[in-house]
Amino acid sequence: MAEMWINMGPQHPMTHGLWNLRIKVDGETIVDAQPEVGYLHRGIEKLAEGKTYTQIIPIADRLCYGSSMTWSHLYCLTVENLMGLEVPERAEYIRVMAIEMQRIASHLMWLAAYASDLGLAAGFTYTMRDREVLIDLFQALTGGRLTYNYPRIGGVAHDLPANFERDALRAVDYMETRLKQYEDMFEGSKIFMMRNVGIGILKKGDAVNLGVTGPSLRASGVSYDLRKDMPYSVYPEMDFAVATHEDCDCYARYRVRMDEMWESCKIIRQSLKKMPKGKWRIVAPRTAPVGTGLGRVEDPRGEGMMYLVGDGTDRPYRLKIRSPIFVTVSAAPKILVGYKLADVVAIMGGLDMCIGEADR
Amino acid sequence: MNLYEFSYGIIHWLVNLVNNLWYWLGDVLPGLLGDFFDAIGRFAASHGHMAVMAMLVESLIVIIVALINVLNFIWIFRKLSGRIFDFYGPYYVGYRIGGWLQNLADGVKLLVKEIIVPMKADKMGYLLAPVIYIGSSILIVGIIPFSENFGISTTREPGQYVPGAALLALAVFAIAPFSILLAGWSSNNKYTLIGGMRSAAQMMSYEIPLLLTAVSVFLLAGSLSFVDIVDAQHDIWFGIPLLIGLVVFMVCLAAEVEIIPFDLPEAEAELVEGWTTEYGGMRFGLFYFTTAIRAYAGGALVTAFFLGGWQGPAIIPDEIWFLIKAYIVYVIFQWMTWSLPRVRVDQMLGVGWKRLLPLAVLNLLIAAAMKTLGWF
Amino acid sequence: MAEKLLEKPAGRIDEVPEQRLMRGLLDHFASAMTDFQRLDRGVMRAKVERRELHKVCKFLKDNMSFEHISMISAVDYEDRFEIVYHITSYRDKLLLELVTTTPKDDPSVDSISSIWGGADWQERESYDLMGIRFNNHPKLERILLPKDYLYHPLRKDFKG
Repeated sequence: MAEMWINMGPQHPMTHGLWNLRIKVDGETIVDAQPEVGYLHRGIEKLAEGKTYTQIIPIADRLCYGSSMTWSHLYCLTVENLMGLEVPERAEYIRVMAIEMQRIASHLMWLAAYASDLGLAAGFTYTMRDREVLIDLFQALTGGRLTYNYPRIGGVAHDLPANFERDALRAVDYMETRLKQYEDMFEGSKIFMMRNVGIGILKKGDAVNLGVTGPSLRASGVSYDLRKDMPYSVYPEMDFAVATHEDCDCYARYRVRMDEMWESCKIIRQSLKKMPKGKWRIVAPRTAPVGTGLGRVEDPRGEGMMYLVGDGTDRPYRLKIRSPIFVTVSAAPKILVGYKLADVVAIMGGLDMCIGEADR
Repeated sequence: MNLYEFSYGIIHWLVNLVNNLWYWLGDVLPGLLGDFFDAIGRFAASHGHMAVMAMLVESLIVIIVALINVLNFIWIFRKLSGRIFDFYGPYYVGYRIGGWLQNLADGVKLLVKEIIVPMKADKMGYLLAPVIYIGSSILIVGIIPFSENFGISTTREPGQYVPGAALLALAVFAIAPFSILLAGWSSNNKYTLIGGMRSAAQMMSYEIPLLLTAVSVFLLAGSLSFVDIVDAQHDIWFGIPLLIGLVVFMVCLAAEVEIIPFDLPEAEAELVEGWTTEYGGMRFGLFYFTTAIRAYAGGALVTAFFLGGWQGPAIIPDEIWFLIKAYIVYVIFQWMTWSLPRVRVDQMLGVGWKRLLPLAVLNLLIAAAMKTLGWF
Repeated sequence: MAEKLLEKPAGRIDEVPEQRLMRGLLDHFASAMTDFQRLDRGVMRAKVERRELHKVCKFLKDNMSFEHISMISAVDYEDRFEIVYHITSYRDKLLLELVTTTPKDDPSVDSISSIWGGADWQERESYDLMGIRFNNHPKLERILLPKDYLYHPLRKDFKG
């Protein structure tokens, strides 16, 4: 069969998010790949220039709807960096706890889509059901299920509701038993291992050069996690390990994310135990000084950054968002070439695409 | 009482009823017209004519019973998969009987959808592919009898069915890959073409272990007809000495019927719906229904070859035993489907050629050994 | 927030990574780099002349072990364009914010996608939304907006 270009997307039932992947196949083998993004471009950076600083928080939530707490937290960090604010400690602990819960929820959603793509349809409903446990906690905490509008410039919007520590600890215990069951279910299945081990190799040098960050980078052997190496918020007080793996294939990426979920459970426990009493919010000034602010977080998908230029009014002059998925998608041709057409789903699923943040 | 006797009785009664009309017209109308109606009456009452009509009624009964069972199968499929996934399955339509009427509701929905034929599709192939697919699958269902008395036969004695029916059923089973390839190619779509080719490769490579295992069964039974094969199992079911054969047969059937883990040709993640993408409305519904028919046919074949067919304690009639065993085989298939991920095409072909083929040959050797030792 | 480091650092033995970086850059590119600031622990900021940008970046990658380009932003001021590069070093755990200015009528700068592959799409995005031209880029096309779109929306003179 001759070489031909195949379009996977933009209308496709199983690509997570709205993007187009043009693959050139020769029979069943992939020869070239060209991803195309931009179908979901909403102009968030321009939108942010016309709104006040607090009005942008819900917009930042909607950048990546799979892990929205990290993005609004990142935005608040950036603005606090610009304004030079000192956030109260209780607010920092609440934020860290919420972010780690969001990390578990985001990885569970990734696992759901990944299992369902590979054909293990039961994995989808089980992981989504467990994600509901965390979503219920978020609903009690913030009032929202998917996008929260919870961090504020100078703290968080409101304090923890009654009995939250008890519920959160119960949820974390439940999650740890379920994680064990998932590991048995996925790694005990020989077909799952056949479809993941040795597929989609991304060498260390390529990963670093192409700007891939996050679990995909750590699965290639580079142990770099922003929470440990350039810590922000109260992460220096937390005791956890960075999940790394040496093989650079899809199984390594899966393994890194599972390990990250275990570590997040540990962090949630510690933050609940160490949380001091006190104020959860200070009132931030309405106008920002002239200058620039920089914020970096470890998003579940990689390194998220925001660069904010303030001009003395109450609206930003320029907000630039760095989305990890934007850069990871550009690395797709390197990873895909040489594998079979049926591996595309495993490889692109393993990179955890959330196109909302790629297109902004 | 044989099914043939039963349907002959029905036709006899019906012909007598209608012949009153013909004979009365023959009496009343004068001349040639009257003779004409008289001749019609006598032709209808002749033995050959009634035999043919009886066979038609018989086929209708067998096929309708099989298709209602297939509806049951679809219901079990959805309910069971729902329970495995931790949700309910069909619930509201037919609330008191557990959502069984959902099948009918889906059928009606598919009937009222608009059927679109793609403009550049090859019309002949596009329209012919479903016909071949569904026709061959219903043919299999007609050939497999439910018991000694319930099947399409031509005489009053029990057990006189199509000679060589088992081989015919397996041969007709293998017509489907042609129609799938035709459907995939004539839809004028790169995805369906890939799906059709994958499907043809998969089915072709899994036919061979399937047939080798069936040959081992024929060897032990000494005949190709279903009744003889089931009768040869009166001491012990073939599934027990030929356990390897049973497992190989079931795996190959799963690949033939295209259920996960072997459903790469219609893998939703990559190819939308695979080779059925361009079919809409009831055509698509018939494809879906036919997959269930083939799953039922596979379960019936496994039951007849390895699990003793319709034999069982006499408290329940034979036909029900047959159906119970076919249902159990189907439930095992579904259990396998929802527990395993999809196997990639080249890995799947590797399994078919490198693992199943030697096992099937080994099974054949075991069967030959047992036959020469005189155990069967 | 930020401390201005006015004098060159002293001594080699127990140098902090930030000081080693500053020394390295000033030793080789004293004329092109100005205005060093320490924004936070591990975060440094410097201005660089746009003609020397490619050489500075190559030096950073090869000699100072800055393996990862985090972000390329473009800001549109009234009298100039500023292109801000955030470059990370995995080994030393440093982040360098490198700022280049271009005049308003000639917003072009050398592309660094030959040094770091991760800069490829980020430069395309700056071209698409802000109109900065990157010389020697392998494929400078629009990426987020339709290919035949006429304007550069993030500029201040584009009003909705």
